[in-house]
Amino acid sequence: MKVKMLIKAAVIAISCGLLTPAPVLAQETIKVGMLISYSGISASSGIAADNVLKMFQKKYGSEPGGKKIEFIRRDTTGPNPEVARRMAQELIVREKVQVILGPDFTPNVLAIAPLVTEGKVPAIITGAATRGIVGEKSPYYLRTFFSIPQSVRPMAQWAAKNDIKKVVIVVADYGPGQDAEQTFTKTFTEAGGVITNVIKVPVRNSEFSGYMQKIKDSGAEAAFVFMPIGELSLGFLKAYADAGLKNTKLKLLSTGDVTDESTLDAAGDAALGVISVGHYSPTHTAATNQAFVKSYLAEFDKTPRLGIAQVIMWDALQVLYAGLEAQRGQKFDPDKFIASVKGKQFDSPRGPISLDKTTGDIIQNAYIRKVERIGGVLQNVEFDTIKDVPAQ
Amino acid sequence: MVFLTTLFNGLAYGFLLFIMAVGLSVTMGMMRFVNLAHVSLCMLGGYVMVTAMERFDIPFLATLPLAFLITGLFSIALERLVLRFFYGTDDLTQVLLSIGLVFMSISTIAYFFGPEYKPVSIPVWLTGQIDVSGLTLERYRIFLVFVGVILTLLILFGVERTRFGAMVRACVDNPRVASGSGLNMQVIFAMTFAVGGGLAGLGGALSASLLGLDPNFPFRYLVYMLIVVSVGGMGTIVGTLIAALAIGVADVCTKYYFPAAGGSIIYIFTVAVMLWRPQGLLGRKPGHA
Amino acid sequence: MRETANLFFRLRVRWSAWEIIFWLAWAGVFFYPGINLALLGQVLIWGLFAMSLDLVLGYRGIPSLGHAAFFGIGAYTAGFLGKYGWTEPLSGLLAAGLVSGSVGLMTGRIVRGLYGVGLLMVTLGLNLLLYDFVDRSTKLTGGHDGLQDIVIAPVLGLFRFDMSGHTAYVYILTVTFILFFGVRALVNSAWGLSLIGARDNSRRMTMLGAPVAGDLTWAFGISAFVAGVAGALLTQTTQFASPEMLSFQRSADLLVVLVIGGTAMLYGGFFGALVYVVLRDQLAALNPIYWYFWIGLLLVLIVTFFRTGILPTASQFWIRLTAHQSKRNKLPGGTSL
Repeated sequence: MKVKMLIKAAVIAISCGLLTPAPVLAQETIKVGMLISYSGISASSGIAADNVLKMFQKKYGSEPGGKKIEFIRRDTTGPNPEVARRMAQELIVREKVQVILGPDFTPNVLAIAPLVTEGKVPAIITGAATRGIVGEKSPYYLRTFFSIPQSVRPMAQWAAKNDIKKVVIVVADYGPGQDAEQTFTKTFTEAGGVITNVIKVPVRNSEFSGYMQKIKDSGAEAAFVFMPIGELSLGFLKAYADAGLKNTKLKLLSTGDVTDESTLDAAGDAALGVISVGHYSPTHTAATNQAFVKSYLAEFDKTPRLGIAQVIMWDALQVLYAGLEAQRGQKFDPDKFIASVKGKQFDSPRGPISLDKTTGDIIQNAYIRKVERIGGVLQNVEFDTIKDVPAQ
Repeated sequence: MVFLTTLFNGLAYGFLLFIMAVGLSVTMGMMRFVNLAHVSLCMLGGYVMVTAMERFDIPFLATLPLAFLITGLFSIALERLVLRFFYGTDDLTQVLLSIGLVFMSISTIAYFFGPEYKPVSIPVWLTGQIDVSGLTLERYRIFLVFVGVILTLLILFGVERTRFGAMVRACVDNPRVASGSGLNMQVIFAMTFAVGGGLAGLGGALSASLLGLDPNFPFRYLVYMLIVVSVGGMGTIVGTLIAALAIGVADVCTKYYFPAAGGSIIYIFTVAVMLWRPQGLLGRKPGHA
Repeated sequence: MRETANLFFRLRVRWSAWEIIFWLAWAGVFFYPGINLALLGQVLIWGLFAMSLDLVLGYRGIPSLGHAAFFGIGAYTAGFLGKYGWTEPLSGLLAAGLVSGSVGLMTGRIVRGLYGVGLLMVTLGLNLLLYDFVDRSTKLTGGHDGLQDIVIAPVLGLFRFDMSGHTAYVYILTVTFILFFGVRALVNSAWGLSLIGARDNSRRMTMLGAPVAGDLTWAFGISAFVAGVAGALLTQTTQFASPEMLSFQRSADLLVVLVIGGTAMLYGGFFGALVYVVLRDQLAALNPIYWYFWIGLLLVLIVTFFRTGILPTASQFWIRLTAHQSKRNKLPGGTSL
């Protein structure tokens, strides 16, 4: 009896196996992880990314290189390396993504580097400005964000060229701020300028009046400021205006974070007249940008405001699509992907950009801008360009 | 010269902290209720002010009493509907509850107002600076000090001279005896909560221009509130005032004179005071009530 | 008398079926296909960390708002060792625990005379100071970006910490279990009993001649040791250390985790960690921007309906359900523990 049952079972099992259709060579689906902040202090970058993705796919379709593409979102929740690493592990090991857009924040970039290298997953950094993290930390990193030297050096050069001899430096007291201070000092003093003093502001700070007094005391012609976007950049601008420093001859030179579009409206009149160095302004006059701005504003809400965050994600998608396009008809190969996009030029709404042939870091223009009110809205208006600044 | 300006700036900051924290100190001292959601009430006041000015074109000065009222009413509702069921539970339960409420408040505000910083425009006559006997002082800070002094006097008068104030003091000193002598604890506490909450809202509205307003406000200022209340001593108004002013001045002065220490002076100060007097500067040692 | 005492302690230490099932489950999930080992590893680390706080909070009644400091000290110690050449993980773990434990002993000594809010604020203030220092000292600790270039050698020379997280999980589980076993034995011993006594009525304990202050210092030291090992586990398995590990945010989260799960039960921390980490993950996946709302609501609901924490409420429920059956759980004298 038992043997009969066994044979019956075997027959059924085998016929089931035969009846199952042989797997057709399915179209390969490329899985792309979006590893950015959807919550926490940088929640607006998540919204910006979603908007841009929609717009990009409308324009360029959703099958780059003839392959279907699937986006999987994971939230880094901010500069949170423990969470970011776990999310990256999920994306790479469990979801088996082939490319990652992100991460943001330097601590996350550093924490994920070994995973990206071991898993051979190209990752396009969209939110970390530290120097030396792209090629050095992993051969699979690329970047469409900017680096601090890339912003700061042109500002120092511009200041020196425009008859500014004495500068007081005000930075947030942490890695990027210290990096900005060192870069500016080196470039500016090499060009013959003098740094009167350096004021370091704690990363968690709400009260600026003491620092404003120190700026007044310094006797400099200009103040160079680096503050991360958020409480510090906004607080600084307001305190600067409140302390009456705008009415003096002191020029305020800052990095793009201080006049970033996402906090510009909250700063209000305090931001008028501030000279900053940045890599994108919605008022950039090139045709590519005008088309980009027009279609973005037509489709999406006014908040979060259109600024560099959206353009960075747009360019990351350009890099992604270009790399996939170069592998049309072939199975996805991460090393070939990296090789094909390194050294490539892209037409970005911010201007021409390219990825460095060796490191994969971004090379882009830097613009000197001034905050003006145009049509009732505060904008960064570009008036000087420094071309093709390398990231190092 | 510079020292006096710095001192003045510190006092303005201190008054701001006082207005925001005094309600917390009284409710913690009186009902032994740890209400960390107090800092969300500050945030609410800020958003009431901004909405009133943007959407209803109400002038800045009028939005201040409005922030006080609306936040006060909201506090009563909160107390009656949620908090009063947790009186007498242990500290940790109350901490968990109020942290949960803080989380909910952050998300709710972000949902209705967006996660970014809100632009706050104060009237022109409050911006800029003015020369006062040789010192150049910011107008908004003068305003803050002015409002702070008036509020302090009102609060002290209310507590020392009015009947309600006497009832509040009785409940803080010795709840058991107070209710034993016929005071309606429930009503008194609800009213105190309303006033304390209203003050928090007012403080938040005042701070929005100086400190910036966004849904993450509670995370940033919770620690400051705790520090002011515990250093000053729970349940004492004068203690909270002294602590707030001391911390405000210490913060601003050390940032100017000893910038290398950064923001840690406040923490060192807190630890030192707590080691010396764990009940706070003017707090009372837990008695045998 | 002596027999009663021995019986008492022996009964306390007896492993219940639930406990065995609990630990077997953790071992078992390793073999479940497609399980998120990284997530579960994090839950274990949080659980271990919460257990360390439970020793001080649940068993001794001292609220500490600065426990992340010990976690971070352990993490950075392991990080420094890995960065500057001492890559052996097990000894690194021990070293991290000892450094953290010594700091804990010192802290215990400092806070001995304090109580209530004062104690809370001192622990908080010390935590904030440490965080500020680590965050700003970029040259020494890597500052805000964290400690990089940490190298950890394979465990026992054989098992490398790889991308899949298998080694990491087994490593974390083993260390957690060993420490749990130790703390459980400690808490169920006479020393543990005196700790609980000091929590409930320190004056009487002093009159009985128990070294209350000394016990407190040691409780802090041991708690810090465990927390430091938890921190070192995190650093070793991720090859990274950042100031976030010492932050007030982490201390506050820890308190939430422990109180949700239930204090004075040792397992409460693990349950709280499971609830908090897993739910946070799930809710964030649903609605990243607004998950705070749901976590807040969950906290409020838990506090309302599970007053003492999930585990104590559940166990009381279970005990009541089986009360008429379990006369054998009662000790001579009628007390049960």
